[in-house]
Amino acid sequence: MKDNALIEVKDLKKHYKNGAVKALDGITTDITKGEVVVVIGPSGSGKSTFLRSLNLLELPTSGSIMFDGEDIAAPHVNINKHRQKMGMVFQHFNLFPNMTVLKNMTIAPMKLKGLSKEDAEKKAMELLERVGLADRAEAYPSQLSGGQKQRIAIVRALCMEPDVLLFDEPTSALDPEMVGEVLDVMKKLAKAGMTMVVVTHEMGFAREVGSRVVFMADGVIVEEGTPSEMFDSPKSERLKSFLAKVL
Amino acid sequence: MNFKEQFILNFVTDNRWTNITTGLIHTIIITICAALIGLVLGMIVAAVRTTYDKNCESLKRRGGLGYIIMTFFNAVCKLYLTIFRGTPVVVQLMIMYYIIFASAKNGLGVAIIAFGINSAAYVAEIFRGGIMSIDNGQFEAGRSLGFNYIQTMMYIVIPQVIKAILPALLNEFIALLKETSVAGYVGITDLTRGGNIIRGVTFSAFMPLIAVALIYLIMVVCLTKVVGIIERRLRKSER
Repeated sequence: MKDNALIEVKDLKKHYKNGAVKALDGITTDITKGEVVVVIGPSGSGKSTFLRSLNLLELPTSGSIMFDGEDIAAPHVNINKHRQKMGMVFQHFNLFPNMTVLKNMTIAPMKLKGLSKEDAEKKAMELLERVGLADRAEAYPSQLSGGQKQRIAIVRALCMEPDVLLFDEPTSALDPEMVGEVLDVMKKLAKAGMTMVVVTHEMGFAREVGSRVVFMADGVIVEEGTPSEMFDSPKSERLKSFLAKVL
Repeated sequence: MNFKEQFILNFVTDNRWTNITTGLIHTIIITICAALIGLVLGMIVAAVRTTYDKNCESLKRRGGLGYIIMTFFNAVCKLYLTIFRGTPVVVQLMIMYYIIFASAKNGLGVAIIAFGINSAAYVAEIFRGGIMSIDNGQFEAGRSLGFNYIQTMMYIVIPQVIKAILPALLNEFIALLKETSVAGYVGITDLTRGGNIIRGVTFSAFMPLIAVALIYLIMVVCLTKVVGIIERRLRKSER
């Protein structure tokens, strides 16, 4: 056990239909503070399930997830408290369509952390400034482009000041010309020392920004290492054939 | 007899028009009170049903009493919906009046309860449909920010649901208004029975029944107009 591990995942399993389908079949890994872990793998490999298990949007069948000194995979854990420290960014943004951008960002800090409206909005505006969307504060999600929506979704998660951000294929639903602006925001975050777990198909991003790349297939981690180890000298056949297809 | 004589015979003589006005007042009282019961009870039933559907897995995992209680209440709600949507409202009303509240003197109260419970079954399904129509991503986004299930419902989901179901809900209340016309079966002088009483006295059916029909029609058309205005407003705010 490393001292600076933020999340320790041990033998995490997720089975469906009484074990007939094994989405996750024993995942063990640590996520260290300040690390950018990029999870890659073919579709159906369980990478999204793994990510969603980290904040218990998927309930694991067995195994443990140590976060903040507690096994959050155990029953009777107050997961809501922990989720406040684990931001999540979804493939389909999931902004609240009936609220302005500003309301989207301030509702959680105001209701959950008891921030005053002024403080929450001040913080939200600072974050909007950072992603270049301060002028859209009063817009509704339907008036934004996909790239703008995703950048708002990222800063919405940041408003809760999480210890770690989970990205579930954040650029997969975007038009190609909008992928760059979202990845730029993520790069900036990584540089600023944010701990991130990113499920993505953007190999360029994985290589450039990832401090560690995890390759999953059939619900297990097949290989993991630094981006250069993984992309330049892959060891397993599975990874070699995967990279041959996607690069 | 010409039109004028008919009119005087049916409505003016012996103040027969009061049958219509008394009936109208009762119809309106029953409709409004039953709608309120329907709204509150319907929301509760919908809450039980959706809470069970959405949290079944995590409740089961936690085990214990919570899961058993929720399963029980969910089954009760399902049975309630099946019975009250599966039998005619007149039959329900008569069962309420002649069996369940057989000793009650207040027919109006029994009718309010009967129509309220009946309407709640439909309102519950409207609410449930509305909640289910909200993309699951909205729940997940709320939960991932740290809201618990109830907070996610209150702050994120329900505001979107109300917007989506308001027209359907108002239409249900318009249907309720018309359904109360069977209240006469248990001796309440509602609008329909008021007209029928006049017919029984004057032996002329045309005037009182057409008058009753016109009053229903005017009320329904007005309410439908209101629904239309609200619908347009909602669409506008969607941009």
